Amino acid sequence: MFTRQLTALALLALGSTAAADALSSADEIIARADMASYYAGADGRSEVRMIISDAQGREQRRQFTVLRRDVDEAGDQQFLVVFSRPSDVRNTVFLVNKHINKDDDRWLYLPGLDLVKRVSAGDKRTSFVGAHYFYEDVSGRRPSDDTHELIETSDSFYILSHAPKDPGSVEFSSYSTWIDRQTFLPMKIEYTNPAGDIYRRVEVFDVAEFDGYPTVTTSRVSDLLTGGKTDMQFRYIKYDVGIPDSVFTERSLRTPPRDWLKRPAE
Amino acid sequence: MKHSVIRISTERPRLVYAVVIALVAITGALIGRIQIDTDPENMLPAAQSDRVFHNAVEKRFTYHDAIVVGIVNETHPDGIYNVESLGALHRLSNEILALDGVIAPDLASLSAVDNIEQEGVGTIRFEWLMREAPITAEQATDIRDKVNRLPLLKDSLVSGDGKAATIYVPIASKDLSYPLSQDIHALIAELDSSDDYHITGLPVAEDTFGHDMFVQMGISAPLAGLMIFLLMLYFFRSAQLVIAPMLVAMATVIISMGLLTGLGFTVHIMSSMIPIFLMPIAVVDSVHIMSEFADAYRPGANPKVVISRVVDHLFKPMLFTSLTSAVGFLSLLLTPIPPVQIFGVFVAFGILLAFVLTITLIPAYIVRMNPLSLDKLATRSKTPHTDTLLARTLRRSGKFAMRHGKLISAFAVLGIAVSIAGINRIEINDNPVRWFKENHPIRVADTVLNKHFAGTYDAFVVLTHSDKRAFSEFVVSAHNLLDNLGDRYSTPIREMLAQDPEDKGAWYGNLIANIDDALFDAEGPETIDTLERLMALTEDAQVASKYFQRPDVLEYISGIQRALADSGLVGKSNTVADVVKVVSRELRGGDESEYRIPATVPAVAQTLMQYQSSHRPQDLWHIVTPDFTSTAIWMQFKSGDNQDMSLAMDFLDTYIADNPLPANIEMRWAGKTFINVVWQDVMVAGMLKSLMGAFVVVFLMMAFLFRSARIGLFAMVPLSVTILGVYGVIGWIGKDYDMPIAVLSSLTLGLSIDFAIHFIERTRSFLRSSGSFAVAEQQMFEEPARAIARNAIVIAIGFTPLFFAPLVPYITVGAFMAAIMALSGVTTLILLPALMSWAGPWLFPEMKMKGAFSVAATRPAHA
Repeated sequence: MFTRQLTALALLALGSTAAADALSSADEIIARADMASYYAGADGRSEVRMIISDAQGREQRRQFTVLRRDVDEAGDQQFLVVFSRPSDVRNTVFLVNKHINKDDDRWLYLPGLDLVKRVSAGDKRTSFVGAHYFYEDVSGRRPSDDTHELIETSDSFYILSHAPKDPGSVEFSSYSTWIDRQTFLPMKIEYTNPAGDIYRRVEVFDVAEFDGYPTVTTSRVSDLLTGGKTDMQFRYIKYDVGIPDSVFTERSLRTPPRDWLKRPAE
Repeated sequence: MKHSVIRISTERPRLVYAVVIALVAITGALIGRIQIDTDPENMLPAAQSDRVFHNAVEKRFTYHDAIVVGIVNETHPDGIYNVESLGALHRLSNEILALDGVIAPDLASLSAVDNIEQEGVGTIRFEWLMREAPITAEQATDIRDKVNRLPLLKDSLVSGDGKAATIYVPIASKDLSYPLSQDIHALIAELDSSDDYHITGLPVAEDTFGHDMFVQMGISAPLAGLMIFLLMLYFFRSAQLVIAPMLVAMATVIISMGLLTGLGFTVHIMSSMIPIFLMPIAVVDSVHIMSEFADAYRPGANPKVVISRVVDHLFKPMLFTSLTSAVGFLSLLLTPIPPVQIFGVFVAFGILLAFVLTITLIPAYIVRMNPLSLDKLATRSKTPHTDTLLARTLRRSGKFAMRHGKLISAFAVLGIAVSIAGINRIEINDNPVRWFKENHPIRVADTVLNKHFAGTYDAFVVLTHSDKRAFSEFVVSAHNLLDNLGDRYSTPIREMLAQDPEDKGAWYGNLIANIDDALFDAEGPETIDTLERLMALTEDAQVASKYFQRPDVLEYISGIQRALADSGLVGKSNTVADVVKVVSRELRGGDESEYRIPATVPAVAQTLMQYQSSHRPQDLWHIVTPDFTSTAIWMQFKSGDNQDMSLAMDFLDTYIADNPLPANIEMRWAGKTFINVVWQDVMVAGMLKSLMGAFVVVFLMMAFLFRSARIGLFAMVPLSVTILGVYGVIGWIGKDYDMPIAVLSSLTLGLSIDFAIHFIERTRSFLRSSGSFAVAEQQMFEEPARAIARNAIVIAIGFTPLFFAPLVPYITVGAFMAAIMALSGVTTLILLPALMSWAGPWLFPEMKMKGAFSVAATRPAHA
């Protein structure tokens, strides 16, 4: 979700017919959506501002920079998340090595405690630093974890329904996505719990193109049970900046890669 | 006016009937709008400051009303940590989650909370504590080992002895507590578990209470009516004579209650007792009229003339007894507890209504009786009374009182002394759970769960930090820096600085975001430098404002917790400091020596951010606000006794005096257990005021009625002795002074003055007519004494059906009403004549002049 869209190549290859002729395979739609959401460019950077509000509208903010590098196209990826605000959590770092065929590797660095910890893969559907986003939303849920069904193709959206292959590992019993037919970005996701109620919603409000990739710039996750929500703003987005593999190592935990975290000039 | 009322009643009885029936019909229909209120908070006015703060705290930390499900296994060696018990708990908890009206995200149970633990070297793991029910005994005991490392769960979700677990079921609205607890009962029945299940929690208790109140009103009050009817039937041997007072009583109760509900007042525990109070009081006046009529009526006489004379004769004493009783109850207005005030006003109204109905409905009833029945009534009701056990006893006791006046007076003084000693022993204490009988499921659950757990009663100490000076200093410094910037950047920031934000956390976040945006746009090293300095200033101010992240402050809170734990006054306390310690321990490898607060603010902030990375990040906001300016020390008490709560409050006050709070911190209590203490304090002080106020007003009324301050004072003797006696007994038997006991004082005042008025008024008139004190006293111990004794007996026994009420306060009231009637009857009939026997000349100086107290006159003439 933090990163982007079909590669330019893919777009070129598909040509203008992609939008005109509706796809009919749910798996193919999901594969493209996964590409659009998480694999734009060979790498990318983005700054994220999260406004976490509770039902009473009380806010907590988090600001961080995400660096991403694809190890394999549509395959393994590396993420480095470096917190900048509020100042009391500044330089807290998450490093994620996302694997398609095995559990992700996750590290955490807490500068206040000068502590590097490996975070067990365990359950990825826990809150990401208090937000209504989950850890799994940072690096993306593997399409192979769910079964997908195309419910409807409207003028603008592919509407799909998804069910987990291992219901015991997740809190939802199903979820639905509204995938933009042009950009393949999921514009809305609604999660249903075992009681049959929609309890969680992800919405995309703004999409803009960066370096040729349609990219989400504002979005929201709402927890419909508690009434809380997290608004996200993505800014200073850039793709194909050539971030080296060496940035995504444990060394970056204690020593964040300043050059790569610097805001790009517009 | 008196005469026109009597004329209308006797001339137009149908009109009187029609009006009363219409009133009863209208108000009776309004009773359908009854709304039960069982919320103890309503003992305080809505604007009372502790209540306002308590509600603000409930909102601030998102506290919901909760149903508590307790699961107990006393037999298995691993207690609750066995495959069957945990399996049942897991299933039940998931089923409860699916119920409508349950606030699922806040439900707390072993299967719905997180565990944080080590997973191999250098790895931490956040996971559901019991996502799946255990299959093997090892898995079950593994959960025990995990819980034992989580102080926030231990002794709260599972008891320290491992034998009991709870499911806290927060609910969206109190109204749902009854249907939801029924649903949960049904789910438990399906479980096929051999464990003991208990369902309790304040909303359930309140709901049950409301139900039992209806039972009381629907069963105990009519039973009291029946009892009174039967007693009167026994005394008067005429159903026809007795039916009239019953009609008055019923009309009084229906109109008063209809008016109460019709005016939109809720029926609280106090007002639910209105019917049972009005019934006997309403009967009393009518009994006076009916029995005097029966005495005065001769066969063949004109009933209109006789009843008019009787009403005319009794009008004044009846008016005064009604007014004084009403004053007794109206004095409850001086107690600033709304349900008590409403109770006082409507009982007072009912008493006056009963008076009006008595002087209208009874004459109307009598003139409509057919002459034959009247004749029968007159003959039948007269003869048996002069030679009954009661009549003989009264005559003897009258003589005894006269003969041993000084001895009896001395005994009374002794009794008063003993009573005062008893009053000094009174323990002020209350606990609404104890309003249920001991074998009530709610009391049982209360006992069982508090045996195992750190306590099911909550109270909160809320610490709030606000440093206005630091804030305004920051604003000034920020403005100074902005002077170096162009309008483009400074104007929007100055606008923000001009605000006085409620939510400082959001405000700082927004301000920082604005400066951040400006920094990105800004050009020129000076502008950037200024903005960076502004940013640093603002970030420092933001961190400083997040006060309850400071390690020294968390250490201070831990100190409070340690002291509370050592005192033994609090079962357990839970705070943000505990959260920080647990997460910090797991981050640092899980060793118990790491169970401590990290040394720096960023370390605490980052530790808490880890805690927020769980399945239930919102749990943090139950103990601290998102801007970290306010925090709650959540205390669990094993008892809901006000005394225990007060001890903890006193202890903390002393602790704070020795270990002063950090600067700029306000400390305040909240929580239901605390609120109970507040309203009880208000009640005790208020009741004293009510009693004093009523005492003074009644004395003035007596002095006015008898045109003599001395007699006025004398009239206060029975009620004073009764109040002292009753409260003396309460002190000696060790019964806690609680809500129902507090209210009794005003009732005593209102009821015992009746007897004194009748006794003194009649004595004086006999004294005047006979000119001899001895003769007057002899006459007193005939019909007048019988009337007083009958009334005392009727009211005392009339309250006995309350013994069978489902709730303890009603039983208390029933028992003490009987005691009050007995005591004030005895003081009136024994102590007053005894006092008169030697103080008579002082009381009635004009009669002394006439020789009424001369030796010759004091020797009883043998008739």
